[in-house]
Amino acid sequence: MIQPQTHLNVADNSGARELMCIRIIGASNRRYAHIGDVIVAVIKEAVPNMPLEKSEIVRAVIVRTCKELKRDSGMIIRYDDNAAVVIDQEGNPKGTRIFGAIPRELRQFNFTKIVSLAPEVL
Amino acid sequence: MRLEKCWFCSSTVYPGHGIQFVRNDAKIFRFCRSKCHKNFKMKRNPRKVKWTKAYRRVHGKDMTQDATFEFERKRNRPERYDRHVAEETLKAIKKIDKVRVDREARHYAKRMKGKKAQVQKEAANELEQSIHMVKAPAALQKEPSLTLPKVYQKQTEDRMEE
Repeated sequence: MIQPQTHLNVADNSGARELMCIRIIGASNRRYAHIGDVIVAVIKEAVPNMPLEKSEIVRAVIVRTCKELKRDSGMIIRYDDNAAVVIDQEGNPKGTRIFGAIPRELRQFNFTKIVSLAPEVL
Repeated sequence: MRLEKCWFCSSTVYPGHGIQFVRNDAKIFRFCRSKCHKNFKMKRNPRKVKWTKAYRRVHGKDMTQDATFEFERKRNRPERYDRHVAEETLKAIKKIDKVRVDREARHYAKRMKGKKAQVQKEAANELEQSIHMVKAPAALQKEPSLTLPKVYQKQTEDRMEE
């Protein structure tokens, strides 16, 4: 349940460390974003000497939420933090490595590149 | 579909039940119900929480090593479906369960052996020492027909013989 002003960790090596959600892409009045949704975010903290800098506006896809993710099989998964992966307009990740576990749902949302780079897909 | 074990209480988690928590190092903790999940969030150690299987195993209340546990080991190799094998496995599960339950009962009996004699001894002791709480010593001495009830009788009622 990510909404504007939510801080998210960054799960890749694109150069950003922490993002703050500004807007949820989709319907105009969308209140919350879940895993697999694209958000517009501003970089609050960045790694020095990388292409991405602080106060840049980027798009990101949410890969982990503390709010439970429910599957049709009845399985409920909860992560330890809220995390996102910085992407470009097409949906390809800007970084080259992904950190942490990624849920399988991203494959259905056509983020196959992220799923293939992930160290662990749950 | 796989039947998992709850991380906290070690009971089986059936599909559609419970929550899985994924820590940032990708370790998965499965819980059978919110009771176990909440205890985990409170950072309780299952080995110290009395009603969990972990506690019972550590403190010798339940069997720890047995051949029947080998059948439940997690196997990651998928088996090709064979109807004959599936039938035999179902029969075997029943038999193994019966064997395991019998062995657990025997373990319990061995643990509780000598308890009955100890309870009897303590009861006799208490009767001798604490009879003044029930009947005043003066009354016992005055009426010679009043006697202490015998503990070794099999009757459940401890009636004073008058």
